[in-house]
Amino acid sequence: MQQPQASSRPARRFHRRTVVVGAGAAAGGLALSRVLGLHVPGLDRLAFGDPTVAPVVNTKDWISPLDRPEAQIAQLLRRATFGMTNAQYDLAVSDGFKNTVDKLIETPAAMPKDLAGADAASQDKPLNVVNLQSWWLDQMLSTPTPFAERMTYFWHGHFTSDFRKVGAQTPYIYWQNLTWRKNALGNFRTMLYQVTTDPGMLRYLDLGQSTGKAPNENYSRELMELFTMGVGTFSEDDVRAGAKALAGWREPLTQAMVDAQIARAQQQGRTPPKSLAADPVKTGVFEAARGYKGAVTFLGVTKPWDTNAVLDRIMQQDSVAPYITRKVLREFVMQDPPDAYVERIAAGWKKSGYDLRSLMRDVFMSPEFLQPAAYRSLVKSPTEVMVHIARALEAPQLARNIAQSGSGMGQALFDPPEVGGWPSNASLVSSNNVLTRVNFVVTTLGGMQKLPAFGNAHQTHTDGIVSEQTAQLLNAATDDQTRWLILLASPEFQLK
Amino acid sequence: MGMQNVGIDKISRRDFLQKGLVFGAGARGLAAGYAAVPDVFAKAVYSAKGAGVTNDKVLVMIQLGGGNDGLQTVIPIGDPKYRDLRPTLGKEADAALPIDKDHGLHQNLKGIKSLYDKGKVAIVQGVGYPTPSFSHFDSIRVWETGDPTRRQQDGWLGKTIEKNYDSAGHPLVGCATGTTSTPGMLRDLQATLTVINDQASFKFQGNSDNVDKVMGTLYTGTPGIYGALFDTAMSTVRDTVAQLKTSAAKYVPKATYSDNQKLVFSSKNQLAAALQLAAELIVTGTGVKVLHVTLGGFDTHYTEQTRHGDLMAYLDAAVSAFHQDLTAYGMADRVLIATWSEFGRRPQENASGGTDHGTAAPVFLIGDPVKGGLYGQGPNLAKLDTQQNVSFNVDFRSVYQEILTGHLGLDGRDVLGSSFDAIPFIRAVAS
Repeated sequence: MQQPQASSRPARRFHRRTVVVGAGAAAGGLALSRVLGLHVPGLDRLAFGDPTVAPVVNTKDWISPLDRPEAQIAQLLRRATFGMTNAQYDLAVSDGFKNTVDKLIETPAAMPKDLAGADAASQDKPLNVVNLQSWWLDQMLSTPTPFAERMTYFWHGHFTSDFRKVGAQTPYIYWQNLTWRKNALGNFRTMLYQVTTDPGMLRYLDLGQSTGKAPNENYSRELMELFTMGVGTFSEDDVRAGAKALAGWREPLTQAMVDAQIARAQQQGRTPPKSLAADPVKTGVFEAARGYKGAVTFLGVTKPWDTNAVLDRIMQQDSVAPYITRKVLREFVMQDPPDAYVERIAAGWKKSGYDLRSLMRDVFMSPEFLQPAAYRSLVKSPTEVMVHIARALEAPQLARNIAQSGSGMGQALFDPPEVGGWPSNASLVSSNNVLTRVNFVVTTLGGMQKLPAFGNAHQTHTDGIVSEQTAQLLNAATDDQTRWLILLASPEFQLK
Repeated sequence: MGMQNVGIDKISRRDFLQKGLVFGAGARGLAAGYAAVPDVFAKAVYSAKGAGVTNDKVLVMIQLGGGNDGLQTVIPIGDPKYRDLRPTLGKEADAALPIDKDHGLHQNLKGIKSLYDKGKVAIVQGVGYPTPSFSHFDSIRVWETGDPTRRQQDGWLGKTIEKNYDSAGHPLVGCATGTTSTPGMLRDLQATLTVINDQASFKFQGNSDNVDKVMGTLYTGTPGIYGALFDTAMSTVRDTVAQLKTSAAKYVPKATYSDNQKLVFSSKNQLAAALQLAAELIVTGTGVKVLHVTLGGFDTHYTEQTRHGDLMAYLDAAVSAFHQDLTAYGMADRVLIATWSEFGRRPQENASGGTDHGTAAPVFLIGDPVKGGLYGQGPNLAKLDTQQNVSFNVDFRSVYQEILTGHLGLDGRDVLGSSFDAIPFIRAVAS
């Protein structure tokens, strides 16, 4: 193994934009790891394969601290929120696990303040995407209802849309974020109708273009494959029938969009279409004349359909509850939840009438959530890691920096790479992404005039459970900038 | 999840990197004219693992993400059914660039057409697999793993690297450029891979030498299921940073790469930049064998004609510059470019002037190693299947087989599970 070659000269002064790192490295060794009270995973967990065969297999695991109440709370906050400040951590520890779960789940989402000019977005005044991203990040950083915000982000990765296709010349992608937040902890069936008729979604998956005469299959397929039932649970005929049954929606027009179109037409010497008028709604508009007339066979039932009937038929499928539950467990508990666990939680959710609060309470209160196998079993997404950094550093002013750093790490908000959403866990760990995360920490620390005291940050943010190397570097660090760098850039901090 | 510690002497390799590269005479199997290759890399890369693997060829896979419309790419200009099925899109037949009386390339593929005329483009038509999936993700996984039974997890290129090249400590053997995450084709936890989104920023910020060293320590012996993954990623970063310092200094592009083409709607494309970095890694002798780049936006359910046309222009400009650059560096004979896409599109146009998910489609093989021409059979529009899609006539693994054996000189059975009838699009090399 490579030995640390860090400079033997300790860092003295901290210059803006330059982080000088001095780590005495391994010299102190294990003895020093007690200075900060760090628990280093013991060697008793080491397991070797056949020692004569290279490479050596390393199965050393983290020692789960989840028998300790404060570690349980910290894991809850890492997963159900975007990380915590010291004050939030202290409050949750004094409230206890169950009360904290109750508080997180029962508090309805606080709505963000309006994004200036967004409702009036048009061809003439398009949305500024970085402003939009920063607006959402501001909310993530400062919201009084962090769980509802975390769920809004979850739905953003589930019911995906991206600003590239939806476009910035309408308020649609902004509205979508508001709609997802309003529905984030409501009823799944209710949300599904809002999703289906959401103007951004009508454009992103082409339902707004689909007519009974020539249906577009895009939304019908993804509604079943990605949003509700999962691949392999329906036939190609169902996709085609669903496309017919759902056809007839169009996107709504705002006054600003109408005005811009009229101005454009006049500029070009054209007469604007007479029918051009703003819609009074912020959802899709159904035009029966563009829909499909007649019966089709969808998921085994032949009859004439409307959108609600389609969604009801989907909700009757046995595949929905386990499909959504598995996705939720993967996001909040562990990468590969056992089938029995999925089925148990799914059954409870179905019984609740698909109430999302009920689902999430069952997830966080399930014994599996606090089992050792769940500990550090998930990788923080770029947004999660950056917002947690800003919270740990008590630096809400970082929203814009975070917005601009996301794409280099593979997560520009409002721009998921594909309709399937964001990569997760192992897929997030590439050389590029490890480097860009470290660089975000370096430049953030370098750009801050004043840092909060490091204090017990290693306990608050990583439960005091760190690798031998992390412990040695932390113990050898001689100033708080260096300690923050080690902690926030560490592999431990990338996990939740 | 498998885990490993890289089993090579990292200290000596790092010392080597830090002292700067000392160029040797080039390893056995490398013909003269190859940019100076440090012996230590050349040996490890080209001769480890499989005995006799001394092939110096490079593969560049270009993913056309979203399902490229084969019928708008290689247009059946002689088939009246094509125009019947596609009242709007069918107009492209008039503007197509004919390669024979029945087929024309999309009008924006001018550079690729000129390479075709020089015998440097093979087009395999009707490529697909049995019982095709119409799901992007499911079908992408089939192409990525090379396994229509969906049992394999690792990517076929990741496996190719793992089983044939000693990539430990040579992060550039397998490389994805212009992206942030590891592409599925390269995924294999036993293979070291580099992902470089943007070359200019691929370095440590701050007091970079110190940060580099400290991160090397911090990411060592990390426990847990992701531990080895994080540690390997960081050691790969450090090796790559050191490599790029050297290669960037040695490389000046000899072609004009531009990402300032008309902005392609619905995708963030940086194919030209990604291919320029690919060229740099190839011509500076970093030991790169397998590269993966992606051009997205092909899921053209609506207003396809303009959007697909833009994407064709984009692809054409980037590939043409890349080939020109490699040619100027005398490296074009080593590099095979291959396109792939999860599926083609439905022959019948939809109401939005677009097309829905389809099945078989053509694959392009481009470069000097190629024996140009049309392979396989074009789509039979008179005989669509029960889903109104075209049938496949070439299994996609027959294309992979020729890439593995014909181009990379590998057996391929350990990657593909068995042997497939190769489509002979690689020129036999007179040795």
